[in-house]
Amino acid sequence: MTYDLVVGDPRTVARVINMAHRFQCRASRVDSTSSDTVTTAHFEFAGDAKQLDRLRAQIDRIVQFEKIFVS
Amino acid sequence: MIPAVTPRPRTGGDAVLEALEREGVDVIFGYPGGTIMPFYDALYGHPMRHILVRHEAGAAFAAGGYARTSGRVGVCCATSGPGATNLVTGLVDAMMDSIPVVAITANVRMALMGTDGFQEADVCAITQCTTKASILITDPGQLYTKVREAFALARSGRPGPVLVDIPTDVLKAPYVPEQHPPRKVNDVKPVATQESIKAAADAIRNSHRPVAIAGGGAREPRAVKAFRELCALLGLPHTTTICGLGASDPNDVHGLGMLGMHGTKASNLTVHTADVVLAFGMRFDDRVTGRPDRFAKGATIVHNDIDLSEFNKIIPTDIMLHGDSADTIKALIAELKTGHIPRFDDWAVQAKALGGPLPSDESKDGHLSATDFLDQLVASMPSKSIVSTDVGQHQMWTAQRFKPNTPRDFCTSAGLGSMGFGFPAAIGACFANPGRPVFAICGDGGFQMTMPELATVKRYQVPVKIVLIDNRNLGMVRQWQELFYDERYSATNLSDNPDFGTIASAYDIEAFRISGPEDAPSVLAAFLAYSGPALLHVSCYPDELVWPMIPAGGVVEDLMESRT
Repeated sequence: MTYDLVVGDPRTVARVINMAHRFQCRASRVDSTSSDTVTTAHFEFAGDAKQLDRLRAQIDRIVQFEKIFVS
Repeated sequence: MIPAVTPRPRTGGDAVLEALEREGVDVIFGYPGGTIMPFYDALYGHPMRHILVRHEAGAAFAAGGYARTSGRVGVCCATSGPGATNLVTGLVDAMMDSIPVVAITANVRMALMGTDGFQEADVCAITQCTTKASILITDPGQLYTKVREAFALARSGRPGPVLVDIPTDVLKAPYVPEQHPPRKVNDVKPVATQESIKAAADAIRNSHRPVAIAGGGAREPRAVKAFRELCALLGLPHTTTICGLGASDPNDVHGLGMLGMHGTKASNLTVHTADVVLAFGMRFDDRVTGRPDRFAKGATIVHNDIDLSEFNKIIPTDIMLHGDSADTIKALIAELKTGHIPRFDDWAVQAKALGGPLPSDESKDGHLSATDFLDQLVASMPSKSIVSTDVGQHQMWTAQRFKPNTPRDFCTSAGLGSMGFGFPAAIGACFANPGRPVFAICGDGGFQMTMPELATVKRYQVPVKIVLIDNRNLGMVRQWQELFYDERYSATNLSDNPDFGTIASAYDIEAFRISGPEDAPSVLAAFLAYSGPALLHVSCYPDELVWPMIPAGGVVEDLMESRT
């Protein structure tokens, strides 16, 4: 599974990697760049298909937390 | 001559207080320390109420109790390092049960951060995965804005905790007035599609054995009203999770009680045999589902939640209603009213008959049974009582017996199951609901985890009634040891418990004692009649178990109602 993340908080990248481990998946590749205001990351995950589905849903959830604000 | 008083220069601490005021905060639960002193200095003489707890864990749990019983955001604060880390369990607890809490922590000054400075802990990292957000504020000009945004985030969508960490030099910096208004909140709640609402209505119309379940997502008053209306409209048998207790109309004869491991036999069997399960604002926790592949196996699962990640997480969703529970149920009612409205009264009567009265314990042999006592207590409670429980057997016995008028009248650590929660949460409930009777029903194990809050009760004369169910054991663990670990009672014996009445008296809190069944009616009456904080020590025999019980990971066929 791949996931392209665009967030304001660069620490979200670490949060996602931790989450992958909690879901017994592995972040097999992470490419990330950060500016003052935006962090983008491309993840590649390995793991059980069902767990990867759950992981995707949880990443969507934490990304959503940032989206409640309109700049 | 009176010496001239130099006015205190305003600081970042004042900006934080200003933000709290703008958010309508009326009480903060906290504990001071070195790095948070600029905030406490701003608080000195300020009209905002600060409640000094005796351990930061008590502050986080009290903030949770405040929020759970009022729907408003609970606020706690602590200093850096151990102060901040002591809040963590309460924040995880709030995250698990979707409770809006804002925690304000101070940190060491910015130049010391990352140097293992005295009382430094990276609390933002520690709480990153257990809060909706942990925010480090390093610019004094952003204090007001970021604190207010933390409240918006805590309240929005599926509520939860947010931690704001502020280095002490930022708190101490000269006050900077609001630089930027908080960003606008785009808290547009998802709305279930009309197509999905119609599919749910069709599923109901085609059903013979539907059942509705209310979870914590149906806790807010609009959702409770809508849930009750739907159940009444259809004559629908219905149940709740522990977080949804109170969503059901206590006068609706089709209410089946609580679902799950220690839920009623009727609710578990009804869900098991249902052909449609209408699940509102619940997340199919393992304590509800047991073995998920056997849960409601023959049923169409109609699942409503505001959080997209909950669908298909544990139980496959057949009809997804992604939206706020109140709006979704109202839309479902409106859709049902456009055509034939089925009634399920006959099925509801059959569903209720699947169960029976709660099993009573047969092993008391003249001793005081906790459940007999709790039956008396619940029957004698004043109307509009709020009950907060700790975690363990007494929690389940209370959840089985207390019939809250609304979900906000019952406060319990459900998802995380944090021992030590019940007493400080009840203190928070008292501040959120002045004038209402509040009971903290605790076990002897959990009470001792946050017992120092007796000092908080004394100082502020918090009118909480503490009911201490003392079986001199960690009862729930002991129950599992008896049933599943060959009666190997490892580390669960608390037979050297202190005299809790004496401890309460030392804090100048009135103590009452029940030591046998014969004392119970008169002492309970005196305890209830006492005006002001009081502790009732109820000495129960240790062998009573919680029934019914579906063992962890089990199925409804495994339901046990007695030892044999």
